[in-house]
Amino acid sequence: MALLYCLVYDMRESHIMKIHYGTALAAVGLVAVHILMRMADGYHQSLEFANVLANYQFVPYAGLLEIILILLSIHGFNGLRVILLELHQGHSYEKAVSYGCIAGMIGLIAYGSRTIVMANMGMI
Amino acid sequence: MDTNKDNREGIGGMANPGRYGIERVAYWLMRLSGLGLLVYFIAHIYETSSILRGEVGWNELMAMTDTPEFHIVLIIVIGMCVFHTVNGIRVMLGHGGVGVGRPTRPDYPYAPASQNTRHKIAIYSAIVLAAIAMVYGSTVLFGV
Repeated sequence: MALLYCLVYDMRESHIMKIHYGTALAAVGLVAVHILMRMADGYHQSLEFANVLANYQFVPYAGLLEIILILLSIHGFNGLRVILLELHQGHSYEKAVSYGCIAGMIGLIAYGSRTIVMANMGMI
Repeated sequence: MDTNKDNREGIGGMANPGRYGIERVAYWLMRLSGLGLLVYFIAHIYETSSILRGEVGWNELMAMTDTPEFHIVLIIVIGMCVFHTVNGIRVMLGHGGVGVGRPTRPDYPYAPASQNTRHKIAIYSAIVLAAIAMVYGSTVLFGV
């Protein structure tokens, strides 16, 4: 809880924007690899069950998916926070938006990680 | 005071895409594409979780998404993704001081140095690249 408080209140906006840009640049490179993996086998063939499962069970690729998930969740929910704070300001509102976005980010990472870990371990 | 309030346009005035040129259009496209991509990302995470329902569950989902309507949605996502990336790099460079010009004395008509031709070209390039990517995406998805 203390960590969450530090994330919401103690971090300078300039630091948050550096994280925003850093996650964007890293995600661009990794998502390009993710898309190229789809294109390499042909779009429709790459989406066949056996192919997708093999992707999840290949540990380096599963790691790549996990990193993309974390980077895009941070970037996406921080972007949403910035848009919402542009529209309206106020102590309670800003607090609700910041906590809401952090909760959304953690929820999405948890849900996506569950899929990656379970598929990787063959728990299907 | 009342007169001032009447003149105040609020968010509508700030948001008007017909004002302030292509920069304001880029501002809106950046936010709309960002929100669209976040919605797609959340849907994509939910969609891929159907792998845990086994081959039947996965094939059911593929049958549901392998439609012309969904392909059109994907083509729009491709366009949003390319525009957001290219315009995002422009914004990052601008925040870092690249391409915003040297500080000069503010003379009439007070044209902001940061909204210069280089940035306008970058915005138009982002739109053109997004259009090209959408055309390429449609050839892949529809097998043209």
